This record gives sequence, structure tokens and C-alpha cells, in this order.
Amino acid sequence: MTPAVRMTGITHRFGALAALEDVDFEVAVGSVHALVGENGAGKTTLMRVLYGALQPTEGALFVDEIERRWRNSADAISHHIGMVSQHYSIIHELTCLQNLVLGAEGSFLLPADEMKKRADHLAAKMGFEFDWDAEASGLSPSAAQKLEIVKLLWRDSRIMILDEPTAMLSPVDSDALYISLKQLASEGATVIVVTHRIPEVVQHCERVTILRGGKKVADLRVSETSAELLAELIVGHAVTRPAPTAPNPGAAVIEAQDLVVRGARKDHALKGATFTIHSGEVVGLAGVDGNGQRELFHALIGTLPIESGRLVFAGDEITTTRACTRLMEGMRLIPEDRHEEGVIQDWSLVDNATLGLQRIPPLTNGPWSDLVARRSLAQRVADRFKTKHSGLYKSMRSLSGGNQQRFVAARALELDPKLILAFQPTRGLDVDGTAQVYAEIRNACRNGAAALVASFDLDELLENCDRTLVINNGRVFEPLTGQERDRQAIGQLMVGAK
Amino acid sequence: MTEVEQLLINTIVLSAPLVLAALGGLISERSGVINIALEGVMLTAACITAIVGVATGSAVIGLAAGIGAGIVISLLHALFTQAFSIDHIVSGMAINALAIGGTNFMTKALSEHSQERVPVYPNWAYYTLALAATFWIGFYLKHTRGGLHLLAVGNDPDKSRQMGLDPIKVRYLALVGSGVLAGLAGVLIVSNAQSFSDQMTAGRGFIALAALILGGWRPWPALGACLLFGLFSALQLQMQGTRIMGADIPYDAWKALPYLVTIIALAGFLGRNRAPAGLGKP
Amino acid sequence: MNSLGWKQIVLALVAFGCIALALVGIGVMPFDALSELIRGSLGTKNNWNETLKHTTPLLITGLAVFIALRAGLFNIGAEGQLLVGALVATAVALKMPGLVGAVLSVMAGTIAGGLWALPAGLIKAYRNGHEVITTIMLNNIAAALAIGLVAGPLRGGTGLSTSTDVISESSWLPNVYQDLPFRLSLALPIAILLVWVIAVWIKKTVAGFELCATGANPKAAETAGVEIKRVTVRAMTISGALAGLAGAIQVLAYEHNFYAGFSSGFGFDALGVALLAGASAWGVLPAAFAFGALAKGTTSLQALGVPKGLSGLLLGTIIIVFAAYRYRKVKSHD
Repeated sequence: MTPAVRMTGITHRFGALAALEDVDFEVAVGSVHALVGENGAGKTTLMRVLYGALQPTEGALFVDEIERRWRNSADAISHHIGMVSQHYSIIHELTCLQNLVLGAEGSFLLPADEMKKRADHLAAKMGFEFDWDAEASGLSPSAAQKLEIVKLLWRDSRIMILDEPTAMLSPVDSDALYISLKQLASEGATVIVVTHRIPEVVQHCERVTILRGGKKVADLRVSETSAELLAELIVGHAVTRPAPTAPNPGAAVIEAQDLVVRGARKDHALKGATFTIHSGEVVGLAGVDGNGQRELFHALIGTLPIESGRLVFAGDEITTTRACTRLMEGMRLIPEDRHEEGVIQDWSLVDNATLGLQRIPPLTNGPWSDLVARRSLAQRVADRFKTKHSGLYKSMRSLSGGNQQRFVAARALELDPKLILAFQPTRGLDVDGTAQVYAEIRNACRNGAAALVASFDLDELLENCDRTLVINNGRVFEPLTGQERDRQAIGQLMVGAK
Repeated sequence: MTEVEQLLINTIVLSAPLVLAALGGLISERSGVINIALEGVMLTAACITAIVGVATGSAVIGLAAGIGAGIVISLLHALFTQAFSIDHIVSGMAINALAIGGTNFMTKALSEHSQERVPVYPNWAYYTLALAATFWIGFYLKHTRGGLHLLAVGNDPDKSRQMGLDPIKVRYLALVGSGVLAGLAGVLIVSNAQSFSDQMTAGRGFIALAALILGGWRPWPALGACLLFGLFSALQLQMQGTRIMGADIPYDAWKALPYLVTIIALAGFLGRNRAPAGLGKP
Repeated sequence: MNSLGWKQIVLALVAFGCIALALVGIGVMPFDALSELIRGSLGTKNNWNETLKHTTPLLITGLAVFIALRAGLFNIGAEGQLLVGALVATAVALKMPGLVGAVLSVMAGTIAGGLWALPAGLIKAYRNGHEVITTIMLNNIAAALAIGLVAGPLRGGTGLSTSTDVISESSWLPNVYQDLPFRLSLALPIAILLVWVIAVWIKKTVAGFELCATGANPKAAETAGVEIKRVTVRAMTISGALAGLAGAIQVLAYEHNFYAGFSSGFGFDALGVALLAGASAWGVLPAAFAFGALAKGTTSLQALGVPKGLSGLLLGTIIIVFAAYRYRKVKSHD
């Protein structure tokens, strides 16, 4: 069969760093092809080259066996290549219809009725339905993903690149997505899925290309491989799954009773969350993005007011206590959005190490801040996960994303934490980094702390936590006894199927 | 003429430049560029219209020169904020300082013409234009490709780029439009006075901006807010010297009225409105 | 991109080139203008006197704008806060002559300035109303109020119609050094002391740390337990209080009465001072001196027939060139 895409000898360097080295990549027309690898393996870079968002340092690109050179994404789009990035390119403030046509309007005047007719036609083909005049901010992650697919159809994309399409989807929605993708492929489209979730590859894809450290290590038919073999190829060595430590819970550290919290849009994002976490426990919080995780974490740390319910921390009621008091009492947060909430990019590592701990005694003496103590704290924070930096007084901006994440995670383990609230603590980290972070959280919990870890990756939670809570539509559920580690049962709780 | 009629006429006279300026601000801020520079754009346009109008004796050349000056100053703001990544407020304040200094410099250097009247078009032409512009911008934002691109870039420049748009280009174009409208506002102000004087825009660029904010960055509500400010300025003109509850309120204290209304309005209503999400972002 | 930034250099050359051309256009050689600018500001004892006199209020208002800027706020309202502070200080000093009166007068001016800025802080924190708009409106109200009051209730018994009486000499701020016509008022050392206090407060206290965090990244600050609304209101109030203090000191040290046109735009120049100062409060010192010299120098230039608008042109150009240099893009990894 003729390849839809053929890339040969692709090399891309950012400065001295080679993100891609001499990579060959070939995809057959009408197939669902997986591109897998660890974070930083070069998957997204390779796809951005294909999409015209990056120009390769060396190498050639053939589409339908004709050599192409893209100047920008607009070039690639006009040759029917489309890409859905992990965080979607849907603009919340625009309507669904405006998002659909943006950049591919066709004419100066926008005939709403005609556009809706074509949009409905394309959506119906995939079995989707949209309220085109509604604001896109109201879309659930799976609806947003569906809109992204209709956007590709609107642009007549025949080569579709999807970057981590299931990162924010529940297992049920993920399966539905792959059914849609297979339908598109059967109609002649070529689908490339960038993912790190091996089960999906094994279950749904035809071929798989594996990248490691910017190089291609293998290109296989999925039917000829296995999950274990893929895992080994991705990491480069055999993966041993650590058995989770047997929990030996102590006293209750945090007790939440019927917490009700309003979200950004003033609706009840949290509709009654009740749970208890004990000293020594690492508890996972599984759930599809946008089900109240964010608001729960903000309510726990004290940056969102609790409308009703009760929150008890180490025996004291803290329902209305301010965030700074909770931090001083030993709560720590690894925030969801490192850029926006975790660090101050223009500040030095020393000042960033202090952020959130600024009122805690070893760093302060009355109203005064102890500059010497702050420096030694920063040294400890940087050393814990071996953050690579070029000086503690250099700005945070000079660190790579992964190193910033290491720094933020290490900071939350400092100055005697009692409760560690970690929102995707390993975002952007490789397998080893992830293992280190969980090991240190585990270590802190052995010393009497408790941890609540939220992630959209159920497998990561099952692998690393003592037990897993599930959040769905603003309510927290606990799996039935005997099903605490049952992937299927938890997956169903995540979508409210039970 | 009755007092009420006089009040209504004054309201229209005083709000028309605000409407034009507010629409100029709207285009700019909808594309994500905070525009404190409106004041400077208006002042420069007024000054250039006066100088060129008097020198050529032609209303149309004066008008064209004024609009041209508005575009140039507005593009300076685009250059500073987009190409040099200068904070939008810093750039705006600097442009205002440049405009105040520059117009003073020019008028003093070319003082021989300063006594002559500026040739102008009748004011009703501008009032019609202000109304038409409000209508057109409302339509443009909702039903055209350019309007959609403006909204997209103003709300999320990064994602717009992913969709193949060029946010920088959209913003430069938006500031050309903004310059035309704010320039017209300046031309109207100098047409009313028929000669240029130092700092004659007197902070009306900022009032227009306040009206824009109160109107939630939407054209018709912004027009409403401008009329409201116009009404209060007209009231101020008419209330001077009147006694309220026996107290003789000095002339100058009445001048504070429109500003006071702005503050109260900002304190009262603003929480409900949403600014373009990408305002001030690179 | 190289670290010098050729784009910024071109901008600076073009900007100052335009000003030089404008000067040539009115028949003044740029070099002559420059030497007159320096002579007019630093050439004689009297010029030094005037320059330092102009520097003092710029130092304190510059500090006021600086501290707001650290909290991420543009206090364009220093002008109005200074006027209100000066007005209230004059009123108190007129009622109560002597040392006690002077102390009360300074306190009253400071509090008045803080209160005048408070609405802007509150509206910013709790209504999300941009402080630039509110402070500009408050400036206009302050100007109208000041003129209204000196024309009405506070109007002096003698002379000018738009001026208060002169305050008693017993409440004047003394000179610490005198070599006539050069006088160094106690006001300048006080202003420098204030710079030191603010510099230490920002660098070495928790409150200073939290203020800067709020300005640098409000979301991160909030997550770190900083109550950003309170910090915003506090920063705006402190900023207003400093500007009010500047007004009070201006009355007690130099002007001795309040009149229409009391401030020659100190509050606006202060924005330039604060932007030039950079990240440390100490930067306010050279910046205020530079602007003081510039203001005095351009006044002297008017004798050569250079319009006073030159100061606005220079101010705007310096801010733009400096800001362009500071915010030039530095390569990042992420």
C-alpha cells in the first residue's frame, strides 16, 4: 500500500540539543498508526514538523509521495493535514460554530445558517451533535475532542494527527473516540495517534512507531507485539512494577464532610465531597478532567471558599481558615498548573523555593524573612530530585519544564508537611523522575504525613497509591470493598456508570 | 430653547467624540491590546488637523491628515507593544507624554497660524459617522471573517496561532482601525473648538475607555455609556452657578461630576462584565 | 538574538534622532540644547538648588509609584494623591502653627493621600476595575476639588485669588545646609531615608515578599497563601500615603502655601521615575535625580526658544527606550 506520509532522515535541533536525530517515519493510507515514547522522546516534535509548525534542520517529507516543504502550519493545512494538540485549540469564549470555522471560513461574510447546515452534516456523519451557538467553555473534555474531530473534517483533513487524544478522557469516552477514528480511517483518512498509553495501542492501532531519546527504535505491526515488549522498547530496559506498600494508616489527617464549593462559573463544581485520609496513606483521586478536582484542591488549600460542609485538619476544624494558616499548619500543594500557579518565572530559585513557605518559622523571625535560611532551603529543594540548574540565584525561567516540575514537587515536601496535595505531580517527568517523586511522597507519608494525589491517568494512580478515590460530577466515591484496585470498576465510577 | 433641549443637544455634542474614541478603543482591546494611548492619538490628530487644515485651507486635507496622524500614533502603540513587548500601559502612558509634548512643540514652533480658524466639516457628519460606526462594528464582530479573527486573537492569541491565524498581523490591522476612529474623535474635538489648544482633549480618551469598560467591550452598550457620560458633562455645564440646598457650589467642583460618576459606575457594575481574555497578553 | 538587542538600539537612535531633528527644525542645534540642558540643571549653585528642590518630590512620589508597581499596580494617581496630601497638610498647618502642627500636618497629608488612593485599591481588588482608569478619574476629581477649595473656603486673605495663605514660618521644614543661594532642605534627607526604609521592607520582610509575589504572578501568590486582595488594597494605600506625604513635605519645605497649579505634574513624572528604577527601590534615587535635572534643564531651555513640550517628548522617549531594553526577549528553554 502507498504511504500517505513518508519522512526520511528528520533531524531537529534546538540550539545544541537534538530533539530528533535521523528519524524515518512512514504511515500507510487508511490506517490508525500509533507513535509512542516517553515524554521528551521527540513524538510531538516529529508531529510538529509534519504539521509545519517546526522546520526540520535536516530531512525530507513526502505527502502522497510528493516532496513537501512547509513554511508554516497554514501550508500543511492547505495540503489537508490537520492536528489536534493535547490541550485542544478550542477558544472558550467563542461559540462552537465560531471555533469550528476559525481560520477556514471561506468567505468574508459568515453565513451562519449555511455553515450550520454543513457543520450538522459533518457531525451527523460521525454520530455527533452540537449546539452550535453555545459558548465552547461549556464543552466537556470529550465533547471538545469531538468538536476537534469535526474541525478536521471541516478543513477536509485527510491526514489527522492527534496528540495524546485520550489524556483527559474517561476509559469509556476513549473507546468511543477510537471507534470514530477507525471509522474515519475506513473512509480513507490516515490517523496518527501520539500516546504514551500502551493498552490503547494494543487494543486499537494497526502499526506502532517507537521513539526514544529522539531516535526511532522500532516500527512494528501491533499484531506482532505485546504490551510488555512495547513497554520495554519505550523505556529501554525491562520495567518492574513495584508492589504498592501495604497501607498502615494512622490517625485521620483530613476529614471532609459534604463539601460544597462553587466553581469559576458560580455553579456548584463540588456537590458534596465526603472522605477521610489518614496519616501514612497515599490516596489517589481518579477522575475525568473537569469533574471538580480543581475546585476540591482549591477548597482544601483554602483559595476557594467552602459554601457548606465541614473540613477538619489534624483534629481542628478549618472550614473557614485562610490559606496561609493552612500552609503554616503543614498543608502543602503541588499545583495543577506549574506555570500559572506554581512558580514565578522571573524570580530566582531561592525566592521560588520560599513561595508558599514564606510564613513558616525557620524562614521567618516575626515580620522578618531570614535570607540565609531561604538560601539553604532552596539548596535542599534543588538537591532532592536533582533539579538541573545553573545557579540558585538564576531565574526559574532558565530551567526546563521537567526541572521546574521537580523543583515544585520537592518544595511541597519541605518543612515537615502533614498533608501533601499533589495535582498531577509528575506532569512532564520521565519514568525515573515519576518513580522518584512517588518514592519521596511515600517517604514523607512513612514519617506521618498523608497525601492526596490527583491524576487523569488511572494506571499511574493504581500503580503508586494505597487506595484510589473517584471524583465524578462534583461527588467523591469510594470503590466497593474488593474492587479497590479493579481498573474496570473504577473506570465505571469515573463516568458515573455505577 | 428650553433647558431640556439645551441639555439634550449638549449631551450629543459632548458624547460624540467619546463614542468615536470608545469604538477605537473597542477594536484595539478586542484584539488584546490595552489602549491607554487613545488620549494621545486623539490629541495628535486634533493638532495635525488644525495645523494642516489652516496651512492648506482645506477641510478634507485637514481631516485626512488628522486620520493619518491617528493611524501613525496608533501604529506606534502596536510597534511598542508587539515588536518590543513593552507593557501596554507603559507604552500608552509614554505615547500620551509624547503626544502632549509633541503637540505643544509643534504648535509653538508653527505659532504664526494659531489664530486662524480651522476649516471643518459640519458636526452632524461626525454624529452620523459615529452611529454608523457603532452599527458597522457590531455587525463586523458578529458576521464577518475579520471580526471572528479579532475576537479569536483577543481571547487567545496562542490558540489562534495554532489555527493558522497571525495574531500580530491581526493586532496591527486592529490598531489601524483604532487609529482611524480615535483620530476622528480628535478631529471632531478640534472642529468643535475651531482651533487647537494645549491638551485640549482633556482626558476624554480615558473617559471613553471607562465607557468601553462599562459597556462590557460591546459597541451598543459602550455607546450608551458614552451618552451617559455626555449627559453628566452637559449637566455639569448647566448646573454651574446653581445653588443646591442653599449651598453655593463653586464652578470647579461641578467639573468633578462626570469623573465621580465614572468611579461610582466602576465600583458598582464592573464585576459583572468580562474583559477579552487575552487582554495585554503577548 | 544577541544580548545587546540591535532592534532596541535602532529604536533608541531613531527616537533621539527625531528629537534632535525637531530641535534643528526650530533652529536650535541639538548639541547647544544638550549643553544648555546640563548647564541649566547643574551649572550653577542656584541651578543645583532648583534641581534638588525638584528631585525631592520626585523621589517620594517615585517611591510611591514604585511600590505600587511592585504589587503589579499602575498608580497613575500619584498626582491627585499628592494634591490632596498637600491641600490637607496646608489646611492643618494653617490652623496649627508650630512644630506639633507641622507633625500633625505631615500625618494628615499622608493619611489623606492614602485615603484618596483607597477607592482605586478597593475597586481593583473587589470589582476588578482597572486602577489606571480609577486613578485618572481620582486625579481629575482632586484637581477640581483643589481648585474649588482654594477659590472658595480655603482662599487666602491676601493677593492671588487662587491661593491659600502662607503657613506660619514656625512650621516650615528647616534647611540642613546653606551656602546661598544653595539650600539643602531637611526634606531631601527624609526622602532618602524613606528610600532606605522601603528598600529594606521589600527585601527583608514577609510582607514585602508577599507584595512582590502578588505583582509578579497573582495566581501563584494566591496559591502560596498570599491574600492578594488585601495586598492589593494595602499596596495602593501605602502608595497613596507616600504620594500624600510628598505633597505635605512639598508644602512644609518649599511652597509654604497651596495654590492652583501646585504640582507641575510630579505624579506623572513619578511613573517614569518608577519605571526607570527597575527592581530595587534604590534605583529610584538616580532616576528621580535624572528627572529632576531634566525638568529644571528644560525650563532653562525655554529661554533659547525651545517649547516646554520638549520635556514630554524626552520623558516619553526615555520611558520607551528603557522599557524596550528591559523587556527585550531573553531566550528561554521551556
